Amino acid sequence: MKKQTEARVITFTSEAEMPMMPASMASTLYNKTGSWRYMRPLYVNKTPPCNAACPAGEDIVMYLQLTAQGRYAEAWETIVRENPFPGVCGRVCPHPCESECNREHLGGAIAIHCQERFLADYAAAHDLGLPMPDVPQRGEHVAVVGAGPAGLSCAYHLRRMGYQVTVFDAGDKPGGMMRLIPEYRLPKEVLEREIAAIVATGVEVKTGVRLGVDVSLDDLKDYAAVFLAVGQSRSRRLGVPGEEATGVLPGIDFLARVARGQRVGLGEKVAVIGGGNTAMDAARTARRLGADVTIFYRRSRAEMPAIDEEVNEALDEGVRIEFLRAPVAVLTENGHVRGLRLTEMELGAPDESGRRRPLPVAGSEYEVACDTVIPALGQVADLSFLDAEVKSERGRIITDEKAATTRPPIFAGGDVATGFGTVTAAVGSGKRAALAIDCFLRGVERTFPDLAQNVQAAPRPHDAAVVRFEDLNTAYFEEEPRPRQEQRPAAERVTTFEEVNLGYGEDAALAEAQRCFSCGTCNECDNCLIFCPDVAVLRGPSDDEPFVFNYDYCKGCGICVSECPRHAISFEEEVKFAET
Amino acid sequence: MKKVVTGNYAVSWGARLARAQVIAAYPITPQTSIIEKLATFCADGEMEARFIKVESEHSAMAACIGASAAGARAFTATSGQGLLLMHEVVHWAAGARLPIVMGVVNRAIGPGWNIWTDQNDTLSQRDTGWLQFYCETNQEVLDTTIQAVKIAETVFLPAMVVLDAFLLSHTSEPVDIPDQAEVDAFLPPYRPELKLDLDDPRAFGALVLPSDYMEMRYKIQKAMERAVGVAEAVDHEWGERFGRSWGLVERYRLDDAEIALVTSGTVTGTSRVVVDELRDKGLKIGLLKVRMFRPFPHEKVRQALAGIEKVAVIDRNISFGDSGVFAQEVRAALYRADKRPPVFDFVTGLGGRDIVPATIREIVDYTVAHDAPVEEFTWIGVKK
Repeated sequence: MKKQTEARVITFTSEAEMPMMPASMASTLYNKTGSWRYMRPLYVNKTPPCNAACPAGEDIVMYLQLTAQGRYAEAWETIVRENPFPGVCGRVCPHPCESECNREHLGGAIAIHCQERFLADYAAAHDLGLPMPDVPQRGEHVAVVGAGPAGLSCAYHLRRMGYQVTVFDAGDKPGGMMRLIPEYRLPKEVLEREIAAIVATGVEVKTGVRLGVDVSLDDLKDYAAVFLAVGQSRSRRLGVPGEEATGVLPGIDFLARVARGQRVGLGEKVAVIGGGNTAMDAARTARRLGADVTIFYRRSRAEMPAIDEEVNEALDEGVRIEFLRAPVAVLTENGHVRGLRLTEMELGAPDESGRRRPLPVAGSEYEVACDTVIPALGQVADLSFLDAEVKSERGRIITDEKAATTRPPIFAGGDVATGFGTVTAAVGSGKRAALAIDCFLRGVERTFPDLAQNVQAAPRPHDAAVVRFEDLNTAYFEEEPRPRQEQRPAAERVTTFEEVNLGYGEDAALAEAQRCFSCGTCNECDNCLIFCPDVAVLRGPSDDEPFVFNYDYCKGCGICVSECPRHAISFEEEVKFAET
Repeated sequence: MKKVVTGNYAVSWGARLARAQVIAAYPITPQTSIIEKLATFCADGEMEARFIKVESEHSAMAACIGASAAGARAFTATSGQGLLLMHEVVHWAAGARLPIVMGVVNRAIGPGWNIWTDQNDTLSQRDTGWLQFYCETNQEVLDTTIQAVKIAETVFLPAMVVLDAFLLSHTSEPVDIPDQAEVDAFLPPYRPELKLDLDDPRAFGALVLPSDYMEMRYKIQKAMERAVGVAEAVDHEWGERFGRSWGLVERYRLDDAEIALVTSGTVTGTSRVVVDELRDKGLKIGLLKVRMFRPFPHEKVRQALAGIEKVAVIDRNISFGDSGVFAQEVRAALYRADKRPPVFDFVTGLGGRDIVPATIREIVDYTVAHDAPVEEFTWIGVKK
């Protein structure tokens, strides 16, 4: 090798000595052209927008990559390292990941929720259990209060780190608000399976224990830490006369009774008040029970907090929605609902939520007849169990970005602390708390991002910069349409609680995963290897490091950077790497 | 196996049977169906070749240069403006001694924009160091494509296989497509003398000083000179294996001829008909078809035209300010002959205008009527 690195000058004395083509007679390895470089390419994975947007901190791009290779079990394991509820979230999450997906510009966002659901169903069909890391068991015992998505997520992640965990819940079964999600959106067996899988990791669950009634905060002081995730269990009141009449049935109470299999007499006409997902669930459930359903919402369609698909599906099923209407009174007869007095509304200046504030239109009141009124105006937390040391504000327990309350070692998360209101956000909140409790118990300092951002339990090395569509080399991507998910026809839906969305089969899931740009994340397409004019891209030592640069010869031309379709190569000024 | 194929598909079949390993090409009428067919062969797995889509003919040749330098058998095809855009790297391929083979469909140069046949595109590449073969029939196109690979790889120079737009490119004829095994026996895999090697990297195409440059050119010319004999031997071997050979030039009824037509491409076929017809009327006329244009077979042309009283060259091209290009070459070759017949040059058929038997009869009549040319060349068929 040493010989090859020496320059050699050859003087020709006749044409016979000369090569046929103008090529050097000796090796050029001595010429380390890397010394010409003033820009340095670096393999640095960036953050795909889906990953950044996932409240549960799922490594979406990675499980899409694995799905695209047909590695379904590994793809599922990639999800459950972060979120033990892919079957639930694949069905009910409003998928903010898809709203940010760069594929939107070339055929439509990747149907990430369908992928997640496919993988969860795959795991169920193949009876895959939650894999637990081989870590030493720890002596500390943590109490989790509330077996909703936040509490169970926290318990699961604590178990993964070797802690002993007991979860208390006021209900007769774990699951929290997830139990109220109607069967046509979330079949109970999907929920039961994922809860059972968490319990199977060694989480102890004690049901029928209500904090503040059956057990107090002080009773939990022997635990090394406590995580409060009791959610928001109380319905907001209508605040109008007649609300106490029979036939006024708060949305979550209605859904809970249906979920438990109880018969609920609704009468013929049902009025649902509100524009969120509970309102949609209540309206569509009432339709399935045979009622004629109208939703009254005080703002317009644009301000509705419900997931757009849910609204459309409700409309398809014959639910009517009256916008810019608010109840003024519940009309009663003999203590029973006979109708509603409503007022028309108009939108004024934006309020603190950024949405335009609805204001009643004077003299516009009118009446409608109905047999049942279902208020679904959102929930508030029951904080009666709190003591003075655990501070709350506007109905939520105050926490910092480490999920710590004002009284260590008590932590809080999920809706009772964040009010984010989705299963996925609650899962992320519970995971954040688990990681923070671990740091707290081990005395490790770690910074956490603010509550609006997600946290990963098993992060891959990556740069925080989020990849934009403009960062991609779109010459490598064609416009390909997002496939449609099969749905049960609307006419059939209103007669059954069978699932509405039928998910993707394997072929569709595989094709859809292959449509992913893999933003900012190397998927070993080999473009850099093929294009490097200096053969300065070499195969790397492992899957974690698929390529390496040979900086002895990399001239810093940047062709690899521009030909990387997915912005997984950075380009930095060489001077930054100079030894000082 | 006999198939009815167009001239373009004959090129494609030639490249397929020659087991081209890298094909980089850009579409241009009337060449496109050559590379479409090759792309289909590749996509269907009937060829073990890498098909590289590129954004221009310049890139097509550049990719072929890279592939050939890496030791692959590289093939491309183009036409007219595409060939002109490629020009810089056409020189490069020859200078780097890379035996790339290229099918070129003769197409007129714009403006005026014109997609029909005319030889000015390939003749403008005369001095690039490429071998050039002009074909008369689709069978000749197929055979020449395979032969060109062998000749090119023997002398380490690139080769163009030239066919007339539409008259061959889009006209179907029965063509015998040889068995792959027989072609394999005729044409061994490419063995480069020096190629890109990651384990022993060399600088290719680097600076050559005045002290050495002329020797590099000398070697190219020596290879060109050698190619005359190699092409003849390869054609001979082909004839023994496949029962057909084409010659570097072809003498048709020349033995006792007083007048010789000199032709290239499809004009030859039309001229054969006229020669036969005039022979029947008692005129002592024959025909010399020039198949290999570079290297120019001077000796063969001199021998063929020795003893001829008048030579009439038909040029489907023009070197502005001089005459037809084939006539220049023929005159130059004859200059060293003991007896130099007068050379009449006829420029006709430019931009795909039909050259029909009447056109050729007019040329012959002119030649018969004059003892010697009265002008450098004569236009035939110009609306004056």
